[in-house]
Amino acid sequence: MSKFSKKDILLEIEDLQIQGYSDEQWVDIIKGVDLTLHRGEVLGLIGESGAGKSTIGAAAMGYARDGTRISGGTIEFDGMELTTASEAEKRALRGSRIAYVAQSAAASFNPAHKIIDQHTEAPVQYRIQKRLEAQEDAMKLYEQLRLPNPEEIGFRYPHQVSGGQLQRAMTAMAMSCRPDLIIFDEPTTALDVTTQIEVLAAIRDIVDQFNTAAIYITHDLAVVAQMADTIKVLLKGEEVEQASTEEMLENPKEEYTKSLWAVRSFKREQKSRPTDGTEPIISVKNIDASYTGSAKVLDDVSFDIYPGMTVAVVGESGSGKSTVARCITGLLPPSKGEILFRGEPLPPDYHKRTRDQLRQAQMIYQMADTALNPKVQIHEIIGRPARFYSGLKGSALKQRVDELLDLIELEPSQYYNRYPPELSGGQKQRVGIARALAAEPDFIICDEVTSALDQLVAEGILRLLDRLQQELGLAYMFITHDLATVRSIADEVVVMQNGKVVEQGPKDEMFTPPHHPYTDLLLSSVPEMDPNWLTTLLEERGVDNVGESADV
Amino acid sequence: MSVFVIGYYAALICASCLAAYFNYRKVFMMVFSLTLISFVLGIIGGVPALRNVTIAAGMLALAAGVSYAFREFLIQIAKPDLAKELRTAPLTASFGMFVVFTYAIAGIFAPWIAPYGEAEVITSAFAPADRDMLLGADQLGRDVFSRLIYGARNTVGIALVATILAFIMGALAGLLAAVKGGWFDQVMGRFADVIMSIPSLIFALLMLSILGPKIWVIVIVVAIIYAPRVFRLTRAVAGNIVVMDYIEAAKLRGEGDWYLIRREILPNSTAPLIAEFGLEFCFVFLLIAGLSFLGLGIQPPTADWGSMVRENATLISFGDITPLIPAAAIALLTVSVNFVVDWMLFRSSGLKEQ
Repeated sequence: MSKFSKKDILLEIEDLQIQGYSDEQWVDIIKGVDLTLHRGEVLGLIGESGAGKSTIGAAAMGYARDGTRISGGTIEFDGMELTTASEAEKRALRGSRIAYVAQSAAASFNPAHKIIDQHTEAPVQYRIQKRLEAQEDAMKLYEQLRLPNPEEIGFRYPHQVSGGQLQRAMTAMAMSCRPDLIIFDEPTTALDVTTQIEVLAAIRDIVDQFNTAAIYITHDLAVVAQMADTIKVLLKGEEVEQASTEEMLENPKEEYTKSLWAVRSFKREQKSRPTDGTEPIISVKNIDASYTGSAKVLDDVSFDIYPGMTVAVVGESGSGKSTVARCITGLLPPSKGEILFRGEPLPPDYHKRTRDQLRQAQMIYQMADTALNPKVQIHEIIGRPARFYSGLKGSALKQRVDELLDLIELEPSQYYNRYPPELSGGQKQRVGIARALAAEPDFIICDEVTSALDQLVAEGILRLLDRLQQELGLAYMFITHDLATVRSIADEVVVMQNGKVVEQGPKDEMFTPPHHPYTDLLLSSVPEMDPNWLTTLLEERGVDNVGESADV
Repeated sequence: MSVFVIGYYAALICASCLAAYFNYRKVFMMVFSLTLISFVLGIIGGVPALRNVTIAAGMLALAAGVSYAFREFLIQIAKPDLAKELRTAPLTASFGMFVVFTYAIAGIFAPWIAPYGEAEVITSAFAPADRDMLLGADQLGRDVFSRLIYGARNTVGIALVATILAFIMGALAGLLAAVKGGWFDQVMGRFADVIMSIPSLIFALLMLSILGPKIWVIVIVVAIIYAPRVFRLTRAVAGNIVVMDYIEAAKLRGEGDWYLIRREILPNSTAPLIAEFGLEFCFVFLLIAGLSFLGLGIQPPTADWGSMVRENATLISFGDITPLIPAAAIALLTVSVNFVVDWMLFRSSGLKEQ
């Protein structure tokens, strides 16, 4: 590597092996991974969940999570062997020379203390700065990370700050001791695309500026392309390949890497509305809604969903996407307006709907973990709606369950008696789909069904949903914030902002300019594979402080 | 220096050397500390003190051995799933299970095990123990051992029935409150608060003196006193479950409350409820024994551990430990149940990490 010379090596991991304890025996999680990181280098670690990204990230601090142990290999940080170092020695490193930025800043800050108190804890503890100095330094860092009101924001409690700002505050906190190495563990995964950009830009600036080495863990290739100098791809605890970012993007060598790159290739024909006067299957007419005692969450929302079509509802979190779904299912009766099902008004409260009305609209949830009862077997989960609505019993019921399992591409004999915790995330989501299908609905609400999944798995789910739509003529309402998903599966798009529909229409129209400004913002915020995308975008938007703060 | 003392020290030192040689650090520290303590103890207490230490260690070893064997026995007879769980049980838990098992046998087969009837007067008052009466006679000349066996049936049986009743009332109300919410939840919650605000022993004494100390009255009063605690726990546990998406899915399917409770919520809340059952059982048991001690519980001549302590209490002034035996039986059962419950609590909290 030309950019980094050999003597600048900061972290060197050789043949790292980590084991995890499960079913009363030690199982290999990381099977011999090498990693070299130079000063000022940003290494992107990518892979599916379960590939061992986070485990390696933690191991770079000499830390093995509960239930795991480092069973072999060496971790050398700046000449110090971490696998044999005592707990006290490692503790002295952490926070001061190696810092960690977690995925969910909201869950990682202590809600009982002000942000700045938590920020200054490390420098004061390590006697690097006095409390007041640390406080001033924090404000400087906040300013560089482009947090609003840098003088004042630190004196708020974590819940008084938005998610994206909190993530930046956390990055600032990691910077407080000017560490040599920062480990970013999916720092933007929980954020909206529009917020993600701010965080990405902030992280990139500050890493550049202090010449900090970083390990950037993510499953989003487009994000890692913006951040990393080098990319390492992991699969099931083993390294697939490693190369510099440009090389990796231009000509990946391994099949697996290519498949990761090709994920977003899934696309299908766009359908248009039936012209023969078919009534829309669901018609949302001017609905307003609010949760008890608070302001309006939905304001005059209307759209139609025609049979056999997919309507994507997009927007940031808090834009009211999921609330629309709650209104349609009847969990939250709208305060004004009505919802028509094939021209017939649906009772606003689900208690008052008939069994058949309930059967027609099914829902697939974002978190398959909480959507399936962990103590109920798969055949019972899938079989219950079939028994409940169609009165199937005995062998007819078993046959129906087998049929549904076949439909979602799970081997019936193997999964019939399993419990949800024994399945992987993608399999659980498939079971969730089967449960919705068991009711034989005409209309399914998919609430962020792919956002908790890895890209490869998510693509499989999208293909499955598409196949089911063709075979069974289902209509989907697809709630998502991921525009890549919209591009691949939607026929029509509804864009929401602050509880209002700002724009709606067929997909191809929506993706070609001119856009509504908000649609434009959403569209341009989706990361692209081009490593210069972030730089270009920031220049276009005129929020370019990159050069400025890098000069400090 | 007797042979016993020489053997005593030789055995301890050999054991500590062996432990040190095979690198069992904890065992070595324990055995060798005991050796050092024994030097002092031997000088102060002489041979009898050392004998007592030996007996205590022997009993501990016996208890450990019994627990180990009992656990293996349970693993052998249990189904594969259960056997896997049992393998994780610590020795204390299997000791607890062994004691509970023994009490259950004693209670169920009391008429066959006990040599005499519970109200049978067979000899003079306070007769000392002999070959026919293992633990001597009480103040009316009844066999203490027989009464102890019958007491297991009466005291434990009533406590069990009262706990089950408290659980049925409390758990049902708690689950309904969690599922229905709204005014029903409020009414049940305030009602539970009212009951809990009355000191339990005073409430029990009051009710028993009004309605008379009959067995069904005891059971119902005790169940009412403990039901609110079960209610609060169940409602809290179920409250965390009803917000899950799978409950929402079931509601949107049009399922009734009873299905939600039975099929969706109960399977997910059994672990904490079973653990709570064990704890509550101990409290109920102690309350009933306490009521009997005060004379308002199970009435004579029915054998009961609480009243047995009271009836023979005068013996303590003469240095006899007979009245302490039923008390020890109460203590042993309470400790044992808690051993089992601790293990279950650990398991139910450990499961959450998966």
